[in-house]
Amino acid sequence: MKRVIVACGSGVATSQTVASKVQKLLNEKGVTAQVEAVDIKSLHQYINGASAYIAITKPKESYPVPVIDGIAFLTGMGMEEELDKVIEAVK
Amino acid sequence: MGMIENLFDFILGMGAPVFVPLIMILVGLLVRMKFKEAFSAGLTLGLAFVGMNMVVGFMMNAISPAAQQFVTNTGIELTAIDGGWTPMSTLAWAWPLAFFMFPIQIAINLIMLALKQTNTLNVDLWNVWGKIFTAVLVIGVSGNVPLAFIVASLQVIIELKLADVNQRQIERLTQIPGVTTTHAMTFINVVLWPLNKLLDFIPGINDKHIDADWLKARLGVFAENHVMGFMIGILIGIFAQYGFQDILMLGVQSAAALTLFPMVAKLFMQALAPLSDAVSDYMKRRYAGREFYIGLDWPFLAGRNEIWVTTIVLVPIILGLAVILPDNKILPFAGIINLSIAVPALIVTGGNLVRMILLSIMTTPIFLYVATFFAPTITNLAEDTGALEVPAGQLMSWSSLELPAYRYLFAHATDFNMLGVIGSIIWIGLFFWYYKGMSARNRRFEAEEKEEQTA
Repeated sequence: MKRVIVACGSGVATSQTVASKVQKLLNEKGVTAQVEAVDIKSLHQYINGASAYIAITKPKESYPVPVIDGIAFLTGMGMEEELDKVIEAVK
Repeated sequence: MGMIENLFDFILGMGAPVFVPLIMILVGLLVRMKFKEAFSAGLTLGLAFVGMNMVVGFMMNAISPAAQQFVTNTGIELTAIDGGWTPMSTLAWAWPLAFFMFPIQIAINLIMLALKQTNTLNVDLWNVWGKIFTAVLVIGVSGNVPLAFIVASLQVIIELKLADVNQRQIERLTQIPGVTTTHAMTFINVVLWPLNKLLDFIPGINDKHIDADWLKARLGVFAENHVMGFMIGILIGIFAQYGFQDILMLGVQSAAALTLFPMVAKLFMQALAPLSDAVSDYMKRRYAGREFYIGLDWPFLAGRNEIWVTTIVLVPIILGLAVILPDNKILPFAGIINLSIAVPALIVTGGNLVRMILLSIMTTPIFLYVATFFAPTITNLAEDTGALEVPAGQLMSWSSLELPAYRYLFAHATDFNMLGVIGSIIWIGLFFWYYKGMSARNRRFEAEEKEEQTA
Protein backbone atom coordinates (compact mmCIF):
# COMPACT_ATOMS: atom_id res chain seq x y z
CA MET A 1 0.00 0.00 0.00
CA LYS A 2 1.14 3.54 -0.77
CA ARG A 3 2.36 5.41 2.28
CA VAL A 4 1.97 9.10 3.09
CA ILE A 5 3.84 10.60 6.03
CA VAL A 6 3.00 13.65 8.15
CA ALA A 7 5.73 15.04 10.41
CA CYS A 8 5.57 17.29 13.44
CA GLY A 9 7.78 18.13 16.40
CA SER A 10 6.92 15.02 18.41
CA GLY A 11 5.13 12.76 15.94
CA VAL A 12 2.22 12.69 18.37
CA ALA A 13 -0.26 15.54 18.31
CA THR A 14 -0.30 17.85 15.28
CA SER A 15 0.95 15.21 12.88
CA GLN A 16 -1.57 12.65 14.13
CA THR A 17 -4.40 15.21 13.88
CA VAL A 18 -3.52 15.82 10.23
CA ALA A 19 -2.87 12.12 9.56
CA SER A 20 -6.28 11.12 10.96
CA LYS A 21 -7.98 13.84 8.94
CA VAL A 22 -6.25 12.99 5.65
CA GLN A 23 -6.85 9.28 6.23
CA LYS A 24 -10.56 9.97 6.73
CA LEU A 25 -10.77 12.16 3.63
CA LEU A 26 -8.94 9.55 1.53
CA ASN A 27 -11.21 6.78 2.81
CA GLU A 28 -14.26 8.86 1.92
CA LYS A 29 -12.95 9.28 -1.62
CA GLY A 30 -12.21 5.57 -1.86
CA VAL A 31 -8.47 6.10 -2.18
CA THR A 32 -6.39 3.39 -0.50
CA ALA A 33 -3.26 4.69 1.17
CA GLN A 34 -1.81 4.61 4.64
CA VAL A 35 -1.23 7.96 6.32
CA GLU A 36 1.30 7.86 9.13
CA ALA A 37 2.34 10.46 11.73
CA VAL A 38 6.10 10.62 12.31
CA ASP A 39 8.63 12.61 14.32
CA ILE A 40 10.23 15.41 12.29
CA LYS A 41 13.55 14.84 14.09
CA SER A 42 13.74 11.42 12.41
CA LEU A 43 12.16 12.45 9.09
CA HIS A 44 15.07 11.05 7.07
CA GLN A 45 14.25 7.57 8.40
CA TYR A 46 10.70 7.71 7.15
CA ILE A 47 10.79 9.66 3.92
CA ASN A 48 12.29 6.84 1.85
CA GLY A 49 9.53 4.66 0.54
CA ALA A 50 6.84 7.26 1.20
CA SER A 51 4.76 8.54 -1.72
CA ALA A 52 4.28 12.02 -0.28
CA TYR A 53 5.35 14.13 2.68
CA ILE A 54 2.79 16.37 4.35
CA ALA A 55 4.75 19.15 6.07
CA ILE A 56 3.50 21.24 8.98
CA THR A 57 6.46 23.59 8.59
CA LYS A 58 7.67 25.53 5.58
CA PRO A 59 10.27 23.09 4.23
CA LYS A 60 13.68 24.55 3.43
CA GLU A 61 15.22 21.50 1.80
CA SER A 62 13.97 19.71 -1.26
CA TYR A 63 12.77 16.14 -0.85
CA PRO A 64 12.63 13.19 -3.23
CA VAL A 65 8.82 13.03 -2.88
CA PRO A 66 6.02 15.56 -3.40
CA VAL A 67 5.68 17.91 -0.42
CA ILE A 68 2.17 18.92 0.63
CA ASP A 69 1.11 21.82 2.85
CA GLY A 70 -0.22 20.32 6.09
CA ILE A 71 -1.32 23.64 7.59
CA ALA A 72 -4.22 23.62 5.11
CA PHE A 73 -5.69 20.60 6.88
CA LEU A 74 -5.54 22.39 10.23
CA THR A 75 -7.00 25.71 9.14
CA GLY A 76 -9.34 24.31 6.47
CA MET A 77 -8.12 26.92 3.99
CA GLY A 78 -6.98 25.48 0.66
CA MET A 79 -7.59 21.98 1.98
CA GLU A 80 -9.26 20.60 -1.18
CA GLU A 81 -6.29 21.55 -3.37
CA GLU A 82 -3.80 19.98 -0.99
CA LEU A 83 -5.95 16.84 -0.76
CA ASP A 84 -5.95 16.61 -4.56
CA LYS A 85 -2.14 16.73 -4.47
CA VAL A 86 -2.10 13.85 -1.97
CA ILE A 87 -4.42 11.80 -4.19
CA GLU A 88 -2.27 12.57 -7.22
CA ALA A 89 0.82 11.39 -5.33
CA VAL A 90 -0.62 8.04 -4.24
CA LYS A 91 -2.22 7.13 -7.58
CA MET B 1 -28.25 10.45 46.70
CA GLY B 2 -26.28 7.66 48.31
CA MET B 3 -27.00 5.45 45.34
CA ILE B 4 -25.70 8.02 42.86
CA GLU B 5 -22.55 8.46 44.90
CA ASN B 6 -22.09 4.72 45.06
CA LEU B 7 -22.52 4.47 41.32
CA PHE B 8 -19.98 7.26 40.85
CA ASP B 9 -17.50 5.53 43.13
CA PHE B 10 -18.12 2.26 41.34
CA ILE B 11 -17.41 3.81 37.94
CA LEU B 12 -14.25 5.64 39.09
CA GLY B 13 -13.17 2.50 40.92
CA MET B 14 -12.88 0.71 37.59
CA GLY B 15 -9.76 2.77 36.87
CA ALA B 16 -8.95 5.27 34.14
CA PRO B 17 -8.46 2.70 31.34
CA VAL B 18 -12.13 1.76 31.76
CA PHE B 19 -13.99 4.86 32.87
CA VAL B 20 -12.32 7.39 30.57
CA PRO B 21 -13.33 5.35 27.48
CA LEU B 22 -16.88 5.23 28.85
CA ILE B 23 -16.91 9.03 29.10
CA MET B 24 -15.38 9.25 25.63
CA ILE B 25 -18.13 7.05 24.12
CA LEU B 26 -20.78 9.13 25.86
CA VAL B 27 -19.29 12.42 24.66
CA GLY B 28 -18.90 10.95 21.16
CA LEU B 29 -22.60 10.01 21.03
CA LEU B 30 -23.49 13.48 22.35
CA VAL B 31 -21.73 15.14 19.40
CA ARG B 32 -23.53 12.65 17.11
CA MET B 33 -20.74 10.29 16.24
CA LYS B 34 -21.94 6.88 15.02
CA PHE B 35 -21.92 4.27 17.79
CA LYS B 36 -19.33 2.19 15.97
CA GLU B 37 -16.98 5.18 15.67
CA ALA B 38 -17.55 6.34 19.23
CA PHE B 39 -16.90 2.84 20.55
CA SER B 40 -13.75 2.47 18.47
CA ALA B 41 -12.44 5.84 19.68
CA GLY B 42 -13.27 4.99 23.31
CA LEU B 43 -11.56 1.63 23.11
CA THR B 44 -8.48 3.19 21.51
CA LEU B 45 -8.34 5.64 24.41
CA GLY B 46 -8.50 2.76 26.89
CA LEU B 47 -5.71 0.82 25.27
CA ALA B 48 -3.63 4.01 25.09
CA PHE B 49 -3.82 4.13 28.90
CA VAL B 50 -2.78 0.50 29.17
CA GLY B 51 0.06 1.04 26.70
CA MET B 52 1.32 4.12 28.49
CA ASN B 53 1.25 2.25 31.78
CA MET B 54 3.41 -0.48 30.26
CA VAL B 55 6.02 1.96 28.97
CA VAL B 56 6.12 3.96 32.23
CA GLY B 57 6.54 0.72 34.18
CA PHE B 58 9.30 -0.38 31.83
CA MET B 59 11.08 2.97 32.18
CA MET B 60 10.80 3.02 35.98
CA ASN B 61 12.13 -0.54 36.23
CA ALA B 62 15.10 0.27 34.02
CA ILE B 63 16.05 3.70 35.39
CA SER B 64 15.11 3.58 39.08
CA PRO B 65 17.69 1.00 40.20
CA ALA B 66 20.40 3.04 38.48
CA ALA B 67 19.14 6.22 40.15
CA GLN B 68 19.19 4.45 43.53
CA GLN B 69 22.73 3.23 42.86
CA PHE B 70 23.69 6.78 41.97
CA VAL B 71 22.36 7.96 45.36
CA THR B 72 24.32 5.27 47.17
CA ASN B 73 27.53 6.13 45.32
CA THR B 74 27.41 9.90 45.44
CA GLY B 75 24.82 10.93 48.01
CA ILE B 76 23.14 13.04 45.34
CA GLU B 77 19.45 12.23 45.46
CA LEU B 78 17.96 12.38 41.99
CA THR B 79 15.04 10.13 42.81
CA ALA B 80 12.20 11.67 40.79
CA ILE B 81 12.29 10.04 37.35
CA ASP B 82 11.47 12.33 34.44
CA GLY B 83 8.79 10.71 32.26
CA GLY B 84 8.50 13.62 29.82
CA TRP B 85 5.18 15.06 28.70
CA THR B 86 3.46 11.94 27.39
CA PRO B 87 2.74 10.28 30.78
CA MET B 88 1.58 13.71 32.05
CA SER B 89 -1.03 13.95 29.31
CA THR B 90 -2.12 10.44 30.27
CA LEU B 91 -2.65 11.57 33.86
CA ALA B 92 -4.52 14.66 32.69
CA TRP B 93 -7.00 12.65 30.59
CA ALA B 94 -7.50 10.32 33.55
CA TRP B 95 -9.00 13.10 35.69
CA PRO B 96 -12.74 12.37 36.00
CA LEU B 97 -13.68 15.99 35.21
CA ALA B 98 -11.25 16.29 32.27
CA PHE B 99 -13.83 16.46 29.49
CA PHE B 100 -15.48 19.55 30.99
CA MET B 101 -12.44 21.48 29.83
CA PHE B 102 -13.56 21.18 26.18
CA PRO B 103 -16.74 23.26 26.55
CA ILE B 104 -14.89 25.71 28.82
CA GLN B 105 -12.14 26.37 26.27
CA ILE B 106 -14.61 26.62 23.39
CA ALA B 107 -17.06 28.88 25.24
CA ILE B 108 -14.35 31.31 26.42
CA ASN B 109 -12.92 31.51 22.90
CA LEU B 110 -16.28 32.15 21.24
CA ILE B 111 -17.25 34.78 23.82
CA MET B 112 -13.91 36.57 23.48
CA LEU B 113 -14.24 36.56 19.67
CA ALA B 114 -17.78 37.95 19.93
CA LEU B 115 -16.63 40.71 22.30
CA LYS B 116 -13.59 41.38 20.07
CA GLN B 117 -11.27 40.65 22.99
CA THR B 118 -9.24 38.31 20.80
CA ASN B 119 -8.59 37.83 17.15
CA THR B 120 -7.59 34.17 17.45
CA LEU B 121 -9.69 31.07 16.93
CA ASN B 122 -8.02 28.23 18.78
CA VAL B 123 -8.62 25.00 16.85
CA ASP B 124 -5.99 23.07 18.81
CA LEU B 125 -8.16 20.80 20.90
CA TRP B 126 -5.38 18.39 21.75
CA ASN B 127 -3.78 20.88 24.12
CA VAL B 128 -6.96 21.05 26.15
CA TRP B 129 -4.91 18.59 28.19
CA GLY B 130 -2.61 21.47 29.20
CA LYS B 131 -5.54 23.17 30.94
CA ILE B 132 -6.61 19.88 32.51
CA PHE B 133 -3.07 19.33 33.75
CA THR B 134 -2.97 22.81 35.28
CA ALA B 135 -6.25 22.07 37.06
CA VAL B 136 -5.03 18.78 38.51
CA LEU B 137 -1.77 20.36 39.68
CA VAL B 138 -3.77 23.12 41.41
CA ILE B 139 -5.93 20.50 43.09
CA GLY B 140 -2.78 18.65 44.13
CA VAL B 141 -1.56 21.77 45.95
CA SER B 142 -4.76 23.25 47.43
CA GLY B 143 -7.49 20.67 46.84
CA ASN B 144 -9.72 23.50 45.65
CA VAL B 145 -11.70 22.29 42.60
CA PRO B 146 -13.58 25.55 41.76
CA LEU B 147 -10.34 27.56 41.91
CA ALA B 148 -8.65 24.92 39.75
CA PHE B 149 -11.24 25.57 37.05
CA ILE B 150 -10.70 29.32 37.44
CA VAL B 151 -6.91 29.06 37.06
CA ALA B 152 -7.42 26.81 34.01
CA SER B 153 -9.94 29.28 32.53
CA LEU B 154 -7.52 32.15 33.07
CA GLN B 155 -5.00 30.05 31.17
CA VAL B 156 -7.42 29.84 28.22
CA ILE B 157 -7.81 33.64 28.21
CA ILE B 158 -4.07 34.35 28.45
CA GLU B 159 -3.33 31.77 25.72
CA LEU B 160 -5.54 33.73 23.33
CA LYS B 161 -4.05 37.09 24.35
CA LEU B 162 -0.51 35.78 23.83
CA ALA B 163 -1.51 34.19 20.52
CA ASP B 164 -2.79 37.58 19.33
CA VAL B 165 0.29 39.53 20.31
CA ASN B 166 2.78 36.90 19.11
CA GLN B 167 1.21 36.39 15.68
CA ARG B 168 3.31 38.85 13.65
CA GLN B 169 6.59 37.66 15.14
CA ILE B 170 5.56 34.06 14.47
CA GLU B 171 4.61 34.86 10.89
CA ARG B 172 8.03 36.45 10.38
CA LEU B 173 9.74 33.36 11.78
CA THR B 174 7.72 30.76 9.86
CA GLN B 175 6.66 32.65 6.71
CA ILE B 176 3.23 31.08 7.25
CA PRO B 177 0.50 33.73 7.19
CA GLY B 178 -2.73 33.75 9.19
CA VAL B 179 -1.73 31.32 11.91
CA THR B 180 -0.38 31.69 15.44
CA THR B 181 0.23 29.36 18.33
CA THR B 182 -2.14 29.09 21.27
CA HIS B 183 0.18 26.67 23.06
CA ALA B 184 0.57 27.65 26.70
CA MET B 185 4.33 27.02 26.67
CA THR B 186 4.54 30.67 25.56
CA PHE B 187 3.54 31.72 29.10
CA ILE B 188 7.23 31.62 30.03
CA ASN B 189 7.70 34.47 27.52
CA VAL B 190 6.64 36.92 30.24
CA VAL B 191 9.61 35.74 32.34
CA LEU B 192 11.98 35.73 29.36
CA TRP B 193 11.09 39.29 28.38
CA PRO B 194 12.98 41.10 31.21
CA LEU B 195 15.86 38.59 31.01
CA ASN B 196 16.14 39.27 27.29
CA LYS B 197 16.32 43.00 28.07
CA LEU B 198 19.26 42.27 30.40
CA LEU B 199 21.09 40.54 27.54
CA ASP B 200 21.08 43.84 25.64
CA PHE B 201 24.03 44.82 27.85
CA ILE B 202 26.23 42.11 26.36
CA PRO B 203 28.17 43.58 23.43
CA GLY B 204 27.94 41.79 20.11
CA ILE B 205 25.00 39.65 21.14
CA ASN B 206 22.94 40.65 18.13
CA ASP B 207 25.59 39.34 15.76
CA LYS B 208 23.71 36.91 13.53
CA HIS B 209 26.60 35.04 11.97
CA ILE B 210 25.75 31.66 13.41
CA ASP B 211 24.08 29.39 10.90
CA ALA B 212 21.47 27.36 12.78
CA ASP B 213 20.62 25.29 9.70
CA TRP B 214 24.24 24.22 9.31
CA LEU B 215 24.47 23.31 13.00
CA LYS B 216 21.18 21.40 12.90
CA ALA B 217 22.39 19.35 9.94
CA ARG B 218 25.40 18.23 12.03
CA LEU B 219 23.91 18.00 15.54
CA GLY B 220 20.34 17.01 14.63
CA VAL B 221 20.99 13.30 15.14
CA PHE B 222 21.35 13.90 18.89
CA ALA B 223 17.79 15.17 19.12
CA GLU B 224 16.42 11.91 17.74
CA ASN B 225 14.61 9.96 20.44
CA HIS B 226 16.53 6.72 20.18
CA VAL B 227 19.97 8.35 19.99
CA MET B 228 19.26 10.75 22.87
CA GLY B 229 17.75 7.92 24.95
CA PHE B 230 20.79 5.73 24.34
CA MET B 231 23.23 8.43 25.38
CA ILE B 232 21.34 9.44 28.53
CA GLY B 233 20.99 5.78 29.50
CA ILE B 234 24.74 5.23 29.06
CA LEU B 235 25.47 8.32 31.13
CA ILE B 236 23.14 7.26 33.95
CA GLY B 237 24.74 3.79 33.85
CA ILE B 238 28.23 5.27 34.16
CA PHE B 239 27.23 7.45 37.11
CA ALA B 240 25.61 4.42 38.75
CA GLN B 241 28.99 2.67 38.31
CA TYR B 242 27.41 -0.22 36.45
CA GLY B 243 29.55 -2.79 34.68
CA PHE B 244 30.21 -2.41 30.95
CA GLN B 245 27.49 -4.82 29.83
CA ASP B 246 24.88 -3.31 32.12
CA ILE B 247 25.74 0.21 30.94
CA LEU B 248 25.10 -0.78 27.33
CA MET B 249 21.89 -2.61 28.29
CA LEU B 250 20.61 0.48 30.12
CA GLY B 251 21.47 2.53 27.04
CA VAL B 252 19.36 0.33 24.77
CA GLN B 253 16.52 0.16 27.30
CA SER B 254 16.51 3.94 27.60
CA ALA B 255 16.47 4.28 23.82
CA ALA B 256 13.46 1.93 23.81
CA ALA B 257 11.59 3.98 26.41
CA LEU B 258 12.12 7.27 24.58
CA THR B 259 11.11 5.72 21.25
CA LEU B 260 8.01 4.01 22.65
CA PHE B 261 6.59 7.03 24.52
CA PRO B 262 5.50 8.96 21.40
CA MET B 263 4.32 5.76 19.70
CA VAL B 264 1.90 5.13 22.52
CA ALA B 265 0.95 8.79 23.00
CA LYS B 266 -0.10 8.84 19.35
CA LEU B 267 -2.94 6.48 20.30
CA PHE B 268 -4.45 9.17 22.55
CA MET B 269 -4.51 11.52 19.59
CA GLN B 270 -5.98 8.86 17.32
CA ALA B 271 -8.79 8.34 19.83
CA LEU B 272 -9.48 12.05 20.22
CA ALA B 273 -9.10 12.97 16.53
CA PRO B 274 -12.74 12.44 15.44
CA LEU B 275 -14.01 14.49 18.38
CA SER B 276 -11.46 17.25 17.91
CA ASP B 277 -12.21 17.31 14.17
CA ALA B 278 -15.95 17.70 14.71
CA VAL B 279 -15.48 20.50 17.22
CA SER B 280 -12.93 22.43 15.18
CA ASP B 281 -15.16 22.21 12.07
CA TYR B 282 -18.05 23.53 14.15
CA MET B 283 -15.98 26.46 15.39
CA LYS B 284 -14.72 27.35 11.92
CA ARG B 285 -18.29 27.27 10.54
CA ARG B 286 -19.53 29.41 13.43
CA TYR B 287 -17.27 32.26 12.44
CA ALA B 288 -16.99 31.73 8.70
CA GLY B 289 -16.33 34.96 6.87
CA ARG B 290 -14.59 36.77 9.68
CA GLU B 291 -10.86 37.31 9.38
CA PHE B 292 -8.93 35.92 12.28
CA TYR B 293 -5.79 34.03 13.12
CA ILE B 294 -6.08 30.29 13.50
CA GLY B 295 -4.49 29.15 16.76
CA LEU B 296 -2.45 25.95 16.38
CA ASP B 297 -0.18 23.71 18.43
CA TRP B 298 3.49 24.81 18.25
CA PRO B 299 5.03 22.36 15.68
CA PHE B 300 4.56 24.59 12.64
CA LEU B 301 7.47 26.52 14.20
CA ALA B 302 9.66 23.40 14.19
CA GLY B 303 11.17 24.38 10.83
CA ARG B 304 13.22 26.99 12.67
CA ASN B 305 16.37 25.03 13.38
CA GLU B 306 17.40 27.40 16.19
CA ILE B 307 14.90 25.42 18.29
CA TRP B 308 16.69 22.11 17.78
CA VAL B 309 20.19 23.55 18.21
CA THR B 310 19.11 25.20 21.48
CA THR B 311 17.59 22.01 22.90
CA ILE B 312 20.70 19.97 22.04
CA VAL B 313 23.15 22.50 23.49
CA LEU B 314 20.99 22.58 26.59
CA VAL B 315 21.14 18.82 27.30
CA PRO B 316 24.52 18.69 29.10
CA ILE B 317 23.65 21.92 30.94
CA ILE B 318 20.36 20.49 32.23
CA LEU B 319 22.15 17.32 33.38
CA GLY B 320 24.93 19.33 35.04
CA LEU B 321 22.53 21.66 36.83
CA ALA B 322 20.38 18.72 37.95
CA VAL B 323 23.44 17.34 39.76
CA ILE B 324 24.73 20.67 41.08
CA LEU B 325 21.58 22.52 42.17
CA PRO B 326 20.89 21.93 45.86
CA ASP B 327 17.61 20.17 46.64
CA ASN B 328 16.94 19.29 43.03
CA LYS B 329 15.44 15.79 42.98
CA ILE B 330 14.64 15.32 39.30
CA LEU B 331 16.72 13.01 37.15
CA PRO B 332 16.26 14.43 33.63
CA PHE B 333 15.32 11.71 31.18
CA ALA B 334 12.35 11.59 28.80
CA GLY B 335 11.74 15.35 29.00
CA ILE B 336 15.34 16.38 28.43
CA ILE B 337 14.72 17.89 24.98
CA ASN B 338 13.30 21.05 26.50
CA LEU B 339 11.01 22.48 23.85
CA SER B 340 9.05 24.21 26.61
CA ILE B 341 11.85 26.79 26.76
CA ALA B 342 13.33 26.67 23.24
CA VAL B 343 10.11 27.54 21.42
CA PRO B 344 9.21 30.48 23.71
CA ALA B 345 12.82 31.75 23.48
CA LEU B 346 12.59 31.63 19.68
CA ILE B 347 9.56 33.93 19.74
CA VAL B 348 10.92 36.35 22.35
CA THR B 349 14.30 36.76 20.64
CA GLY B 350 12.96 36.65 17.10
CA GLY B 351 15.32 33.78 16.31
CA ASN B 352 18.61 34.97 17.86
CA LEU B 353 20.35 31.69 18.68
CA VAL B 354 22.86 33.06 21.21
CA ARG B 355 20.13 34.81 23.15
CA MET B 356 17.95 31.69 22.98
CA ILE B 357 20.67 29.53 24.51
CA LEU B 358 21.48 32.07 27.24
CA LEU B 359 17.80 32.52 28.15
CA SER B 360 17.33 28.75 28.27
CA ILE B 361 20.30 28.32 30.61
CA MET B 362 19.08 31.12 32.87
CA THR B 363 15.65 29.54 33.24
CA THR B 364 16.69 25.88 33.57
CA PRO B 365 16.70 26.10 37.41
CA ILE B 366 13.03 27.18 37.32
CA PHE B 367 12.15 24.08 35.32
CA LEU B 368 14.13 21.71 37.56
CA TYR B 369 12.80 23.12 40.84
CA VAL B 370 9.18 23.22 39.69
CA ALA B 371 9.53 19.63 38.42
CA THR B 372 10.96 18.65 41.81
CA PHE B 373 8.15 20.43 43.63
CA PHE B 374 5.36 18.78 41.64
CA ALA B 375 6.89 15.26 41.74
CA PRO B 376 4.85 14.10 44.79
CA THR B 377 1.68 15.65 43.32
CA ILE B 378 2.19 13.89 40.00
CA THR B 379 3.01 10.60 41.69
CA ASN B 380 -0.11 10.81 43.88
CA LEU B 381 -2.17 11.63 40.84
CA ALA B 382 -0.95 8.46 39.15
CA GLU B 383 -1.98 6.47 42.19
CA ASP B 384 -5.37 8.13 42.73
CA THR B 385 -6.55 7.75 39.16
CA GLY B 386 -5.04 4.32 38.73
CA ALA B 387 -3.88 5.48 35.31
CA LEU B 388 -0.19 4.76 35.79
CA GLU B 389 1.61 2.54 38.27
CA VAL B 390 4.62 4.15 39.88
CA PRO B 391 6.45 1.62 42.07
CA ALA B 392 6.10 2.33 45.80
CA GLY B 393 8.66 4.73 47.24
CA GLN B 394 9.50 6.18 43.83
CA LEU B 395 8.57 9.47 42.25
CA MET B 396 7.74 10.55 38.73
CA SER B 397 7.75 14.05 37.28
CA TRP B 398 8.52 16.01 34.10
CA SER B 399 11.80 17.93 33.85
CA SER B 400 10.53 20.38 31.21
CA LEU B 401 7.09 20.96 32.69
CA GLU B 402 5.44 23.61 30.52
CA LEU B 403 4.59 27.07 31.93
CA PRO B 404 6.35 26.23 35.22
CA ALA B 405 6.13 29.70 36.76
CA TYR B 406 2.40 30.15 36.09
CA ARG B 407 1.50 26.68 37.36
CA TYR B 408 3.67 26.91 40.47
CA LEU B 409 2.62 30.42 41.48
CA PHE B 410 -1.09 30.19 40.74
CA ALA B 411 -1.38 26.75 42.36
CA HIS B 412 0.09 28.25 45.52
CA ALA B 413 -2.17 31.29 45.28
CA THR B 414 -5.23 29.02 45.41
CA ASP B 415 -3.88 27.73 48.71
CA PHE B 416 -3.84 31.38 49.93
CA ASN B 417 -0.12 31.04 50.39
CA MET B 418 1.34 34.57 50.69
CA LEU B 419 4.27 33.88 48.36
CA GLY B 420 1.89 32.37 45.83
CA VAL B 421 -0.44 35.35 45.91
CA ILE B 422 2.36 37.91 45.58
CA GLY B 423 4.09 35.80 42.93
CA SER B 424 0.89 35.55 40.91
CA ILE B 425 0.40 39.31 41.05
CA ILE B 426 3.98 39.83 39.85
CA TRP B 427 3.35 37.30 37.07
CA ILE B 428 0.30 39.25 35.90
CA GLY B 429 2.40 42.45 35.99
CA LEU B 430 5.05 40.77 33.83
CA PHE B 431 2.31 39.65 31.46
CA PHE B 432 1.18 43.26 30.92
CA TRP B 433 4.78 44.35 30.41
CA TYR B 434 5.27 41.62 27.81
CA TYR B 435 1.99 42.44 26.08
CA LYS B 436 2.96 46.09 25.82
CA GLY B 437 6.46 45.25 24.65
CA MET B 438 5.27 42.88 21.92
CA SER B 439 2.62 45.40 20.81
CA ALA B 440 5.42 47.93 20.34
CA ARG B 441 7.40 45.35 18.38
CA ASN B 442 4.34 44.72 16.19
CA ARG B 443 4.03 48.43 15.43
CA ARG B 444 7.69 48.48 14.45
CA PHE B 445 7.13 45.50 12.12
CA GLU B 446 4.17 47.33 10.61
CA ALA B 447 6.24 50.48 10.02
CA GLU B 448 9.01 48.39 8.43
CA GLU B 449 6.55 46.66 6.13
CA LYS B 450 5.10 50.01 5.04
CA GLU B 451 8.56 51.33 4.30
CA GLU B 452 9.36 48.26 2.21
CA GLN B 453 6.19 48.73 0.20
CA THR B 454 6.88 52.38 -0.57
CA ALA B 455 10.59 51.85 -1.25
